[in-house]
Amino acid sequence: MTVMTAARARRRLAPYLFVLPFVAVFIAFSIYPLIFTARLSFTNWRGSGAAEWVGWDNYTYLLTSPGFWNSLANSGVLWLLIIPAQLVIALIAAVLLDNAKLRLRGFYRVAFIVPFVTPLVAVAQIWVVVFDTNYGAVNGLLGLVGLPDIGWLTTSEWAKPTLALLFLWKTTGFIIIILLSGLQSIDSSVYEAASLDGSSRVRTLWSITVPLLRRTIMFAVVLQTLAVFQMFAEPFVVTQGGPYNSTTTAGYYLYNHITRADLGTGAANSFLLVIVVMALSLVFVRLLRAKD
Amino acid sequence: MTALTTPRASGRRSRPAIGSQLFLVLLTVAFLAPVVWALLSAFKPANDIIRSPLLFDPSTFTLDNYTAMFQDVPIASGFLNTGIVLVFKGAITLFFAPLAAFAFAKYSFIGKNLIFGAVLISLMLPTIVLIIPLLLEMKEFGWVNTYQALILPGAVDAFAIFWMRQVISAVPDELLDAARVDGCSEFGIFWRIVLPVIRPGLAGLAVLTVMNIYNDFVWPVVIASSERMATLQVVLSTLSQNITGNRIGADYATVTGELLAASSVALIPLLVLFIALQRHFINGILAGSVKG
Repeated sequence: MTVMTAARARRRLAPYLFVLPFVAVFIAFSIYPLIFTARLSFTNWRGSGAAEWVGWDNYTYLLTSPGFWNSLANSGVLWLLIIPAQLVIALIAAVLLDNAKLRLRGFYRVAFIVPFVTPLVAVAQIWVVVFDTNYGAVNGLLGLVGLPDIGWLTTSEWAKPTLALLFLWKTTGFIIIILLSGLQSIDSSVYEAASLDGSSRVRTLWSITVPLLRRTIMFAVVLQTLAVFQMFAEPFVVTQGGPYNSTTTAGYYLYNHITRADLGTGAANSFLLVIVVMALSLVFVRLLRAKD
Repeated sequence: MTALTTPRASGRRSRPAIGSQLFLVLLTVAFLAPVVWALLSAFKPANDIIRSPLLFDPSTFTLDNYTAMFQDVPIASGFLNTGIVLVFKGAITLFFAPLAAFAFAKYSFIGKNLIFGAVLISLMLPTIVLIIPLLLEMKEFGWVNTYQALILPGAVDAFAIFWMRQVISAVPDELLDAARVDGCSEFGIFWRIVLPVIRPGLAGLAVLTVMNIYNDFVWPVVIASSERMATLQVVLSTLSQNITGNRIGADYATVTGELLAASSVALIPLLVLFIALQRHFINGILAGSVKG
């Protein structure tokens, strides 16, 4: 009997010990900093000296500052340039890859995910070189077909599309794989019924595949929305937020507070960004639910 | 490959049309071209890279960019720092994340739902939010520019726990109970039963973890900016600023050549690792993401 109870006691105790290392790290490096940020956002602390309580000043400052709204607008434009194009490309590619009769299927799957695996900083460097106005390979290609040079990274009209291209290049393969995982859980009898009906391929895609794939698409959109609004390394390496702040994304704007040691404002900016991102995520979840 | 070719997929739909094949080929070219261009260009004389970016003449093959880069750029110490972080952070994540996930999947204990809820919420939080308070916390600990600061925050990653919990849930309870009857300790069950059974999922997690740590940039650039502690990505990021930031005296062609050589050196280890383990990785994402 004592052996049994000892084993049972051990069994009851075990899970606490198993989660303890995670909980310790989580409290020390996630929960504590989060509470700290919340308090910091109500002070004017600049990293040293005494912190002065300023109430909602940081929030009202940001909400009335053109720089903050400009950074959100830049991220919004990038979102529009990226997400619809990415979903269309990824959906078509995933549907094609889901066909077992496709030749070179394994090769395509590897080729598509290569950009996702490459270090972003290395790729961003390559972007700087390839899209250079005077010496870049892209303008070289345009020259071959008689088109004029474009200031990809030096004009405020083109800098955003060039960053959007980098983001699309880097992450579309990952979205293809995610959509593919959703496609593989769709029952094939649905397609058989559609082909018996004589539905065209495009019609089948739009009226059968997309609705059945709704949850996976939603997951991808939420994931990418988070990523676009946090986008930081791309502008940091490629454009430093310029020209004329046209690529100062929400994430990069936040970083600017840190470099100026304006920590109170930075903390407030963090929370505003979280609210924006969570609100957008909720909107997408609602939109896709509403179709049920 | 075979794991993905589910029985129902074969025999469905006909061979894709020419248009579909063309779409996939174009996508492959777009995804591979920048990487291939950079890898090849790094072997060209620096002046040729900018003078004729689209021309590849095997007779001008040179290692000059590499030798210059190894002289000018502290890339070896970057690799060393990344390697050290990789070993420790990777080991911590790959051991403690499945351990915590095991507790969440197979035990009931007080606070389980609360802690797992916190895991889910932290998946939604932009990482950039925690940067400021974490930086201050590290200053308090005296950990700025140390390995601890690079390793501990973000070790035992919430996504890893979320993913592993799904994988471990699929392990049959009978297997665990049989081991208990045989007198196996609770940790013994994890070590000798659970870990071997979930090895495929663990391999997927390993690839993703290595990739994330190797490519990590935002936290290292904030916390380890000294030359001695800079990780590979941080070392790389300073290079393109020599181009776009117009460092006085820096010769554009030379810097471009070194930059492409450095980017190639940073790309290659991950590409090799990924191509060797691509099946685990892709199947890992397929198994780990949300189903439609």
